[in-house]
Amino acid sequence: MTHRDTLLVEEGEILGHQAHPGEQFILRLKAPRIAQRARAGSFVHIECHPLLPMRRPLSIMRAEPAAGWIELLYRAFGAGTRLLSAHGAGTRLSLIGPIGRPFAPHPERPRALLLGGGVGIPPMIFLAEEMRRRGGYSPLVLMGSEVPFPFTTRPSQILVSGIPEGTIAAMPLMDDWGIPSRLSSLQGYPGCFHGYVTDLARRWLAALTPAQRGEVEIFACGPHPMLEAAARLARDYALPCQVSLEEFMACAVGGCAGCTVRILTADGPAMKRVCVDGPVFDAATVVF
Amino acid sequence: MGGQAVNQDDKRALELDFCGMRFATPLVLLSGCVGFGEEYTRVEGFSNRDVGAVCLKGTTLHPRLGNPPHRVTETPMGMLNAIGLQNPGAHHVVREILPRLDFSETRFIANVSGSTVEEYVEVTRIFDDSPIDAMEINISCPNVKEGGVQFGNDPAMSARVVEACRAVTDKPLITKLSPNQTDIAENARRCIEAGTDAFAVINTLTGMAIDVEQRTPIIGNNQGGLSGPAIKPIAVLKVHQVYQVCRAHGVPIIGQGGVCSAEDALEFLIAGATAVGVGTGLFYDPLLCPKINAGIAAYLKRHGLSEVGQLTGTLRLNGQTVCA
Repeated sequence: MTHRDTLLVEEGEILGHQAHPGEQFILRLKAPRIAQRARAGSFVHIECHPLLPMRRPLSIMRAEPAAGWIELLYRAFGAGTRLLSAHGAGTRLSLIGPIGRPFAPHPERPRALLLGGGVGIPPMIFLAEEMRRRGGYSPLVLMGSEVPFPFTTRPSQILVSGIPEGTIAAMPLMDDWGIPSRLSSLQGYPGCFHGYVTDLARRWLAALTPAQRGEVEIFACGPHPMLEAAARLARDYALPCQVSLEEFMACAVGGCAGCTVRILTADGPAMKRVCVDGPVFDAATVVF
Repeated sequence: MGGQAVNQDDKRALELDFCGMRFATPLVLLSGCVGFGEEYTRVEGFSNRDVGAVCLKGTTLHPRLGNPPHRVTETPMGMLNAIGLQNPGAHHVVREILPRLDFSETRFIANVSGSTVEEYVEVTRIFDDSPIDAMEINISCPNVKEGGVQFGNDPAMSARVVEACRAVTDKPLITKLSPNQTDIAENARRCIEAGTDAFAVINTLTGMAIDVEQRTPIIGNNQGGLSGPAIKPIAVLKVHQVYQVCRAHGVPIIGQGGVCSAEDALEFLIAGATAVGVGTGLFYDPLLCPKINAGIAAYLKRHGLSEVGQLTGTLRLNGQTVCA
């Protein structure tokens, strides 16, 4: 099913632009119309600098329709995102959005396991917030990063069974929302699980009863190897799993077929566009 | 330039005839940039009515999956692409896609691609028996192993393809020329003899970008086609060169390569183009076309011209020309 909603072109005004360690930035933009329509998993195609010929696709981390803003988290690692990071409050940047097929959680599986790795964290935060607003879900958010997390971590006030002892670091915003979260890294950050986020997820899943596992659905966004591990985890436990994919992108509206990934369909292998056929795909159909 | 509203007089000034087709404006959305004509219509504020024609994605006889990722990457003032003619096949396009298009909005041009002369002919035949307004013969795709630019770089082969397609259709044929050849004007001359009605000048230039850490090409296909503002001066010169051949025969040109503004479009018109293609520029600004239209209309008014066709080939060279 291709994303067919109307795509908006909106001038977004920078309200705030925070730098975090590891060249990470949180960009808050006033973009009321996109904020109104954004869903967890959708993204914007943002103008980074008028002298660059291409925009950059960035996942939406949060959208506050009432206040009319959206928030993006990105890492400055190329020409475009470096130029983007130099813009201050008041700058206006053109946005195309919200783009893409969002996550579609199944209500009959309320134990949502949200896995975010690095710059794949933003849509997981959005999904957690969406589940909180919608009600009826009990998500657990696990996030992994090999650079310092773009927020101050703190010991969680919410107990989660099946999580190894000492793995107590959490994202404060999640705690404030009453959503349990835990963090993982190979960097030895205090309170974080030492390992991959998918290893932590496996430990948690292993501790559930079969009946509890029957209520789990996995959602993941992050680097390719992490998504592959998430898909494997889902397969091992026969769980549904939705992954959000990334690929180099040109038009972002489905016109150029530049951002395709290999997907298995009923008619055989197909090249599907991340921008409008995704970015969210059923992990079981992705050819990693 | 640009941003002004286009009134009724402006609209009339922008209209033109292209191989017997009425184009509402001189702009043509380029093949490979706008899918099969529907995708951009979902962008609020975008309308196919703002352009004279839409060139559909390159179509082969059988479906093609296309190239592996990465298929696109940004380069200085441009981008490389190697999509590899991903398409669902000519029969699917005619049966499933064309009926969904609104032919009252604009003219639709099929892009005929293939690996053999026979395949070009068969695809042309399939589109001939369809509502499509015209066909663009793509003998210049740089991203497929067989056909494409292999044909386009050889004037004799180019002419063979054009002649064979000409034999099976009376619809306008537009030959898309490659810049990756020694003498584009000679190729144009041969294609006119073979029966082409028009040219699209230029397709992308072949190029490569390398990931120095991995020491591998960034593009999955290793090499790709370069488009965007970086190639505009090359494209303008090629249009000028092809126009020298076309002028005497009344064969019109769609000038294309890096158009991002009204000024860019005007350069192509002055160099000899009758219509102007917009491709990569749309990726940055999906609402670019009405701005270009307004800019051209304002220019026409400022220069006392009543229709855009009066601009074609009005280049005044400085003294002795440096190119034949």
